Amino acid sequence: MRGSDYLVKRIAFAVMTIFVAVTINFFLFRVLPGDAVSNVARVPSATPELRHALRVQFGLDKSIWQQYLIYLGQLARGNLGISFSNQQPVVDNLRTAFANTLPMVAVGTLIAIVVGILTGVLSAVRRHTVSDHLSTNLAIAFYAFPTQFLGMMLLILFAGVLPSAGMSDPFALGDVPLGEHLADLARHMVLPAATLALTLYGENTLIVRSAMLETLGEDHVLTARAKGLSRRAIVRKHALRNAMLPTVTMIGLSLGSIVSGAILIEVIFSWPGIGSALYQAVLHRDYPMLQGGFLVITVAVILLNLVADLAYFRLDPRITS
Amino acid sequence: MSTSVAKVDVAEVEVQEGLWAAIRGVLRERTAMVGLTILTLFVLMAIFAPLLSPYDVHQASCTVFEPPSRQHWLGCDDGGVDMLSLVITGGRISMIVGFAATLVAMTIGGGVGLVSGYFGGWVDTVLMRITDYFLVIPDLVLMIVISAVWGPSLSHVVIVIGILLWTGTARVIRAQVKSVRERVYVKRAQAIGAGNWRIIVRHVLPQVGPLLIANTVLTIAVAIFDETALAFLGLSDPTATTWGTVMEHAFDRTAVSAGAWWAIVPAGVAVALVIMGCYLFGQSIEDALNPRLKVAHLSPRSWRLRSLVGRGPDAL
Amino acid sequence: MTLLDVRDLNVWFDLSGDREFHAVKDVGLSLEPGQRLGLVGESGSGKTTTALAVMGLLPSSASASGQVAIRGKDLMPGGEDGFRAHRWTDVAMVFQGAMNAFNPVRTVGWQIAEPMQAHGTASGAAARTRVGELLELVGIPAAAAGRYPHEFSGGMRQRAAIAMALACDPKILLADEPTTALDVMVQAQILELLTRLCSELDLALLLVTHDLAVVAQTCDEVAVMYGGEVVERGPIDQLFHSAAHPYTRALFAATPDLYGGPAGGSGASAEAADSSTLLAVQGLSTSYQSRHTLTDRIARRPRRDVQAIDGVSLSVAKGEMLAIVGESGCGKTTTAQSILGMVPTSGGSVLINGVDVTQLSARQMRPLRRHVQMIYQDPYESLDVRFKVRQTVEEPLLVHGIGATRAERAALVRTAMERAELTPPEAFLERYPHQLSGGQRQRVAIAASLVLEPELLLADEPVSMLDVSVRAGVLALLDRLRRGGTMGVVMITHDLSTAAHFADRIAVMYLGRIVEQGTAHDVIHRPQHPYTKALLSIVPRPDPRERSLGTILRGETPDPRNIPSGCRFHPRCPVAEDRCRTTDPVLAPPKHPEPGTVPAHVSACLLA
Repeated sequence: MRGSDYLVKRIAFAVMTIFVAVTINFFLFRVLPGDAVSNVARVPSATPELRHALRVQFGLDKSIWQQYLIYLGQLARGNLGISFSNQQPVVDNLRTAFANTLPMVAVGTLIAIVVGILTGVLSAVRRHTVSDHLSTNLAIAFYAFPTQFLGMMLLILFAGVLPSAGMSDPFALGDVPLGEHLADLARHMVLPAATLALTLYGENTLIVRSAMLETLGEDHVLTARAKGLSRRAIVRKHALRNAMLPTVTMIGLSLGSIVSGAILIEVIFSWPGIGSALYQAVLHRDYPMLQGGFLVITVAVILLNLVADLAYFRLDPRITS
Repeated sequence: MSTSVAKVDVAEVEVQEGLWAAIRGVLRERTAMVGLTILTLFVLMAIFAPLLSPYDVHQASCTVFEPPSRQHWLGCDDGGVDMLSLVITGGRISMIVGFAATLVAMTIGGGVGLVSGYFGGWVDTVLMRITDYFLVIPDLVLMIVISAVWGPSLSHVVIVIGILLWTGTARVIRAQVKSVRERVYVKRAQAIGAGNWRIIVRHVLPQVGPLLIANTVLTIAVAIFDETALAFLGLSDPTATTWGTVMEHAFDRTAVSAGAWWAIVPAGVAVALVIMGCYLFGQSIEDALNPRLKVAHLSPRSWRLRSLVGRGPDAL
Repeated sequence: MTLLDVRDLNVWFDLSGDREFHAVKDVGLSLEPGQRLGLVGESGSGKTTTALAVMGLLPSSASASGQVAIRGKDLMPGGEDGFRAHRWTDVAMVFQGAMNAFNPVRTVGWQIAEPMQAHGTASGAAARTRVGELLELVGIPAAAAGRYPHEFSGGMRQRAAIAMALACDPKILLADEPTTALDVMVQAQILELLTRLCSELDLALLLVTHDLAVVAQTCDEVAVMYGGEVVERGPIDQLFHSAAHPYTRALFAATPDLYGGPAGGSGASAEAADSSTLLAVQGLSTSYQSRHTLTDRIARRPRRDVQAIDGVSLSVAKGEMLAIVGESGCGKTTTAQSILGMVPTSGGSVLINGVDVTQLSARQMRPLRRHVQMIYQDPYESLDVRFKVRQTVEEPLLVHGIGATRAERAALVRTAMERAELTPPEAFLERYPHQLSGGQRQRVAIAASLVLEPELLLADEPVSMLDVSVRAGVLALLDRLRRGGTMGVVMITHDLSTAAHFADRIAVMYLGRIVEQGTAHDVIHRPQHPYTKALLSIVPRPDPRERSLGTILRGETPDPRNIPSGCRFHPRCPVAEDRCRTTDPVLAPPKHPEPGTVPAHVSACLLA
């Protein structure tokens, strides 16, 4: 395969997957049992006017394929509908939520990746030693604890020490200097980001460790030893570099767990992000929001996957052959 | 092709083991045994839950958020229900949900992997493309959407988890089937005139069996994890007692601000233990099946020098 | 002072359950500058472990004792770290299987320069220049330094591995099976390169190999290892003529010589001519479809199918053995697969007892499969590890519904095993493959074929994965089976010596075509095609007096997707003329037949 072929393929795949997600998103809400008609009826406190508005909004009198085309058309114009709960365009709601989610998830994930790579590599290089056993067992434990459990534990442990809900101090009214605002944000972010980092670090450690162990069993490591390289040089120049390949793939595949973690954490810490939005949408049967949230998260994950693919392309010269 | 030579010399004296023999070897490993023991205990607990629960989970037996005591080892929840009974009873349903969802996932994943890997061609292309789509779409989000549309119910949870957790298994099984299919003894069986069915049943399935077991165990962990997540978001049956709903109730009814850690810890630790058991057991099998983990060209310890006591030219 | 002096070297490996394996026992070796020593032994003899111990490269499960001295300095007391400074600067190694010896994600040049930087012998621009020089030295253009290992062919990779070994000007070169898994022609190229470099650079060479003939062609001295011990050591001439140890003598006896011994063809082909033709292949062509993906189609790249074999014709009679000889990729295995009906053919016919099997559907083919059976190359892979010998041999009977009762089948299984010389059968029936040696496994595979009483046996490199000492036995078994007169054998091999010994007739294949075919005697003694001549000239001979450089063809077998115009062989042909570039020769008898040549001897060369 040529290099350009690989890129074209991965991009085409991402586009196709987005299309599939869009389609699933549409049909899930119309075709499956419990379709939109009955769902609309279940909307709490729905006035007849609202119901009518919804019918028009969903175009429920038209055939399913017409509806699908209309939906695609609306989507292309960036219209995800109107939220049931606050009557605002879904896009606007999601934009704010997404902007709130991003820094918290980015910080947590980054910490988890850095710590995971460090502990995973050390574990593998010191295989079968006490430090390996300790680190691996700790990783398994954090992999095993449910996210909501870790979050609640941190809440109980640090209640009063650190802010436990939201992303800013609700009493800091008026114009707050930017520095103070950021410091406040950082303090609010500690617990949610730490919870996310803790849940993800375990999995990352285990992934990196096994990728490293596989690499250390490859024959070119023996060659490197034969060449008179020091242990440090072998780990740094050969093992680490090669172990990055499976690690990138697996981290790409674990994007799903990042998303699940983020949703649960936002609910626990009342972080006004996309996960909370999704949760509120479920609670209030706010279908346009639910639909929009699913779409935004899925597209984000697909694009991040594409980034992982491109990183792989940079790391592995064999792809171009 | 493995050319690591020090290995070859040793392989001559070490008995070459079959796959099932490798699993027997796994059971001799400490981590696998720990995992299996944990799982067995929890399964027994689930089976004998009604006998083991000290109190009725539908009736209050103490005050709200009563801390652990001699009568109530793990304390009580917001409704004054005994926590130990809740964890034991909840374990039963959580594990049934986890196992049932895994059964659905393994049937789909194993089937897709087998068909895709064995027959190849366009069937493989189509199935793998579908698998890739499912692999990329974030599980929990789709689960939330589906459960939200269908309404909360345990059977929905089982189906939703089941139809979303098969992708990894399908890929792993497909890869293994593909490699088994290329083995010479399968080619030989074809040359003899054996049909596909015979080859699958006699040669392929036994070879992928251990891997399927490992994947099943690892999937159980994820299924139970997802069940608690869905329950936490209120998408499970709110009237059923599961580890997920126990944690959800604790959160909803302000166990956190009350500082009632005993309302959260037991269920959380139970889930963690089951997941740990699954991981230790499943991963041990996978590791044993992975030949690339058997060699280490760089280990913390180097080879040792032996003293020449009793040897040397004189000893000959 | 002795350059390398190994004394009383012992190596043990820890096994599970507090057992240990004494892999190397009191081994002593020495090397002087420019000296070439061959270390010969079968798998498990400890030869590779010895080589690794010389570099201190043992795995962590090993323990060692003894002396490994370089220029009088014993490195053993320093342990792993004591060796490190001497690795690559004093002792360098060429590993078996260069594909895995290189890191796939680093360029070849980077990996050659790496030890220079680690040992401080060169860095920066100086290192780059040196990399270029080294590559040129082994016959690779310096510009290839920026390429990755996977972009190199097998032969180039092994050359690059040699260049890498020379990076820090070592005094001693260890080469562990440097030519195993390479084609005969590439093997000859690499051996020639190693010999040349050793004399030019005054390098001491320790060549670890299972192949006595390779040692006879390259080394001055040989040490024979068996069960972890050096059982005999001496100049190669001396050992060839008067080996003292029975194992050495057996090893020499088991190494086939191209011109030594009786040609298998004598007489048998005359008998065969009378009997009916069992297999007749006419103009057989098979092509593999290349993947033509959507992106290929959008980019309008032409579909490039691989013509694996093109117009192959051959025949085998009952009681006859035909050998198909050629380098990897020449189409010999595809020919066997096509005869077996395992790959779809694209032209020509395969008549088995007069029935054209290419016209049959898979369903119609199935009952006929019992008439043609195949023996595969790798006996470690061809048996299902979970099946006992009895189950493996019985399975074909169950597939074809032969033998109504268990007792009936048991009798047939016993007979087949006796024919495969697994006697007494009771000793083997209940064993699993891992309890058998390589030779025994191959015999089980043969028994599982014989149980169907096939008329045609296809043997694809049946002994190339076996130890030298058991090869002769398996080949003799195949020979006896076909001499029974009810069975014909097609043996696929890369080894002309084996073909010369056992086959009645030989067909030489190159790039999907038969380029020469005739009786074994004619092909070996009066080769017509320049390719056959070249192949014959480079066969390593166990007799060190027969050392010759032969006609080593340059390059490697071309890509079958890119078949040269005219005569397919012309780009590598030492005698090609202009017309060879345009005219595609057909198989024809020689224009000036030598007296006594059977007319069935044909070759496809314009100049023959």
